[in-house]
Amino acid sequence: MVKKSFTKIGIAVKKIDGVELVTGKAKFTADMKFPNMLYGYACRANVAAGRIKKIDYSTALAIPGVVTILLAKDIPGPNIIGILPPFDQPLLASEEIRYEGESIALIIAKTKAVAKSAAAKIIIEIDPWNPILRVDEASKEGVRKIHPQGNVIFSKKLIKGDVKKGFEEAEVIVENTYHTGFQEHAYLEPEAVCAVPMANGRITIYASCQSPFHLRTHISANLNVPASRVEVIQAYTGGSFGGKDDVAAEIGSLASIAAVKLGKPVMIAHEREESIIGSNLRHASRIHYKTGAKKDGTIVAREIEILLDGGAYASESPFVVMKALIHAAGPYNIPHVFVKSTAVYTNKTYCGACRGFGVPQVTFASESQVDELAAALKIDPLELRYKNGLRHGDATATGQVFNQSVGLIETINKIKEKKKHSHPTEELNNSRWLYGTGFSCMLQGISNGAEGIDVVGASVQMSQDGSVLIGVGLTDMGQGSRTVFAQIVAEVLGITIDKVTVKQVDTDSVHDSGPTVASRGTTVGGMAVFKAAQEVKKSLVKMASLMFKSEEDQIILKDNFVFLKNNNLAKIPTKEVASAAYWTGFPIMDLAFSKAPEANYNHETHQGDIYIAYNFGTHMMNIRVDRYTGKVEVLQHIAAHDVGKVINLLGIEGQVEGGSLFGFGLAHMEKVIFQEGKIINANFADYAVPTVKDRIPTETILVEDYNPTGPFGAKGIGEPPVAGAAAAFANAVADATGVRFRKLPITREDILMAITN
Amino acid sequence: MRYLFPITIKEALEYVSSEKDSKFIAGGTDLINQISDGFITSQMLIDLSQIEKLKKIERTEEEFKIGAAVTLEDIASSKFLPQCLIQGAKSIGSPQIRNLGTIGGNICNASPCGDILTPIIVLGGKLVLISSYGKREISAEDFFIGPKKTIITGNEILTEIVFKKLFLSERNSSFRKIGKRNGQTISQVNVAIWVKKRGKDNEVEDIRVAVGSVAPIPLRLEKVEIFLKGRTIDQEILKDAMKVIDEQIKPISDVRASENYRRMVIGSLFQDAFKEIYK
Amino acid sequence: MIIEFTCNGEMKRADVPADMRAIDLIRDVLGLTGTKEGCGRGECGACTILLDGKPVSSCLLYAPKLNGRKVQTIEGITEKDGKLSPIQEAFIEEGAVQCGFCTPGMILSSKALLEKNPYPSDEEIEEAISGNICRCTGYTKIIKAIKSVSDKMDMGN
Repeated sequence: MVKKSFTKIGIAVKKIDGVELVTGKAKFTADMKFPNMLYGYACRANVAAGRIKKIDYSTALAIPGVVTILLAKDIPGPNIIGILPPFDQPLLASEEIRYEGESIALIIAKTKAVAKSAAAKIIIEIDPWNPILRVDEASKEGVRKIHPQGNVIFSKKLIKGDVKKGFEEAEVIVENTYHTGFQEHAYLEPEAVCAVPMANGRITIYASCQSPFHLRTHISANLNVPASRVEVIQAYTGGSFGGKDDVAAEIGSLASIAAVKLGKPVMIAHEREESIIGSNLRHASRIHYKTGAKKDGTIVAREIEILLDGGAYASESPFVVMKALIHAAGPYNIPHVFVKSTAVYTNKTYCGACRGFGVPQVTFASESQVDELAAALKIDPLELRYKNGLRHGDATATGQVFNQSVGLIETINKIKEKKKHSHPTEELNNSRWLYGTGFSCMLQGISNGAEGIDVVGASVQMSQDGSVLIGVGLTDMGQGSRTVFAQIVAEVLGITIDKVTVKQVDTDSVHDSGPTVASRGTTVGGMAVFKAAQEVKKSLVKMASLMFKSEEDQIILKDNFVFLKNNNLAKIPTKEVASAAYWTGFPIMDLAFSKAPEANYNHETHQGDIYIAYNFGTHMMNIRVDRYTGKVEVLQHIAAHDVGKVINLLGIEGQVEGGSLFGFGLAHMEKVIFQEGKIINANFADYAVPTVKDRIPTETILVEDYNPTGPFGAKGIGEPPVAGAAAAFANAVADATGVRFRKLPITREDILMAITN
Repeated sequence: MRYLFPITIKEALEYVSSEKDSKFIAGGTDLINQISDGFITSQMLIDLSQIEKLKKIERTEEEFKIGAAVTLEDIASSKFLPQCLIQGAKSIGSPQIRNLGTIGGNICNASPCGDILTPIIVLGGKLVLISSYGKREISAEDFFIGPKKTIITGNEILTEIVFKKLFLSERNSSFRKIGKRNGQTISQVNVAIWVKKRGKDNEVEDIRVAVGSVAPIPLRLEKVEIFLKGRTIDQEILKDAMKVIDEQIKPISDVRASENYRRMVIGSLFQDAFKEIYK
Repeated sequence: MIIEFTCNGEMKRADVPADMRAIDLIRDVLGLTGTKEGCGRGECGACTILLDGKPVSSCLLYAPKLNGRKVQTIEGITEKDGKLSPIQEAFIEEGAVQCGFCTPGMILSSKALLEKNPYPSDEEIEEAISGNICRCTGYTKIIKAIKSVSDKMDMGN
């Protein structure tokens, strides 16, 4: 690969939307105000399961300020949300309640306070059933079916080689079961939408969301209008992490229905408790691992069974099942792998997309067992990973071979270097503190892969003054994709970033781009933007070659000027070339469509080419544990990731630091607590999101192993650090305390109880 | 709803007797949430935070007094108040909470987790309650009768907390707490100790111990005090003291911690607090 | 009830119900939507405003408490001609902003700290923003940003 020097990428670039955010000028959805705007508030079920017998809203409706109350019967369309078959979730429950907190009625009133007080006055008679709360119960023969098709949401297998044969060859086998708990996204901005009906029969929905096109599909279906009448605009979004997909469709549809019915704008903005109870969580899991290896440390077989608690509705469980399935074997070259991955329904808040998407759960289990295997083999845990780690030309668990962009070994080497200089542990063990170090290796497939069509639309429009407007179908939820897109275009067109504007994501403007998930923003989104910019560049080059009377291959675009290759004095301002191009009839706008190579695999065995690329990472965490309280101090945390190519250094570090703390929260502090199906810690005091005093000192090391499917070789980074940090933490605790915890979160309470007994 | 700002205690008492459904508010950091949650309603809020007399910290020959409307932040940043009081105040919530929340509010809210309550108890704080009938003084440890329940009546105002000078001059006090996380956390357990040392070996001449979040009220552990009085502190004595503590406390398992964890960790907090006093 | 107070240096007068929360007065009546509601219970810091220079959670105050006081919101941090203050610049420069929802509250808590204590220790910085939750950044770059402002002041810049 020829080393090219870039000017706008590979460096630290200030966020282009930073100014409006630090001044408070950026309008998030709940900041918006429209004339005659009304407010919606949901009345929710207070039992976890049962049949709705009667709904009496007459008292509520009579409250001054209440305008209307919607029930399921008032929904013009099918009253369904769902990203995948079985499309089993209603906007408003009409017959059956499946989780405590499920929406039954929507009150529209002149103020939110009135709507809320009216919600308390709605009388709902529910015939309660015994809720099915545990996955074992849900899987039992003859148990009540939470959905007509039964309690299994989705189940898939992955078969590589022959595990039976593999285990026969194994000289050492370790086997254990691991658990992880429910995690809440806890974005600072609770979900919000505002639906504004337009005079021309269209409706515009402003939403805090991750997937505006999904939103449009749902809204048009439930409104029973053509999708072309619905415009979804993504407002500034205060974090999402996978949590604003289903719920945005739910409240987006409801607000739209109310808005059209009343001919007035309708705002729904959730309170924090509603956000925790009424939107999806991360799946809790039970994962059984069996790993067989030769005495020299070669892993020959892995057999894994994954059971995910999917809660009341399917949401993205099928995709999480698949992603867990595909990643469970870890970033290792293993000839024989068998995985079974299943999600079941229970009568609890539904589970769906959450940063990492099944990979944090399996990585914790997988990496815990790799350490347990290392102990059984008496081989150094990092050496064991190095020995088995995937390299260029190896086949992954799905049999996919990558000849480029497999930077795992380099990340391990980086950690090895750091390990040499890190804190010595044994000597420091004194009466109070127990010191330990944990490692993890992980991989995370980039973009949709086997989950479906992987396309993004983008637009690049240059104006005659040389400035550029970018539109993309993927959303910035804080991760900095707007800035990355601006950098890519600036690099291609040779302009400075201050000449670039990225518009709000607007479903009117670009091709349906699916959801902004799977760390696909930079990779597939970036490619679309790259392609569109290249087309505009073609026109500029053509025009400039006419103006210079030279060959096109002599034209260079740089710093808002167009130059001749071997003549620095021959330069024309880009804006003049742009203007000339327009007047000559060369297009200076392009609408591009980027389609990632399709996944091509056997659906029974999940063998084949599934992802366009994987991000690989190795983490090291040095901790000390207070043996008298169970408190953990993270002394050092190093996260090494192969990102293909760095686009924005500041942005990548931000994702690694933030993602690692997200994973640390999953591993150590955060636990959604259910009691008889009710979440009893639906607030930020009792659900322990890390504060600044709980942060970890993450140091980022970036490895660049060029990825041919991403712009300039880049791969995504949004999710991978979550799994890496969570798994490294668990291994560090085991090393420090001598106790292997096979359940997340490992809280200070868990630690103290275990080491005291 | 009416919201009033009396500028004297007398005015406040007149307001409260004028409206049955009235409530006193100072910082409001607990009360506002209770109103939002629907646990409390009120036709009249009487805001005590503008009454100058309630915001003073005073030192006299015999005593030091803290006005009930002194904010937790002012206590946390004090240069002279006893250490356990400063530590307790500092550990509450966040700067945003401490800039509004008051010592009087924390007392009257009477949460068994209240981090300033155990320091007040070990410092022998006396609560001054004023009503239109007159004044009474109650020992802090006698003020609490259950979770969020105190002996204050609807027409009384807690005006100040009075401490004997002794507790300021013998500055050996310490407060420790643990929660689910390091920042902005509610106590799973908290411990406050005040010790008067004597002699070369610093034996315990007098001691007061109080614990929080392990009983329905912040609890003074008199049996532990009796056990430790007159002793020279060492590891063995502390270990034995922990056994006495374990018998006295009544922790429960709830959303914040299990009973077992509370029992296990309280000993360590107790030892840490002693270590700080004896270092 | 009539409330009169100074907001970002300007006299404001509003006639609102006595139990209107300060956050709603600021956002809905004054239209200053930079102050955000993240939890409504004083547990996240997104609604932080400065009341007589001290950070408080505006979701935990009823409007009457603002009477006669000086309030500063994020909108008052930007200088009159639209120029960013050093702390705002630093947040952008250091990558301390991701989704931006915690940012107004975070900046106000930082500003209050630096005005009281221009050269804070790491521990003092942590304490000052311990009531502001951020879910995106992991806090590292936020601390860097605050430190960089302090370092610049130290160098007499």
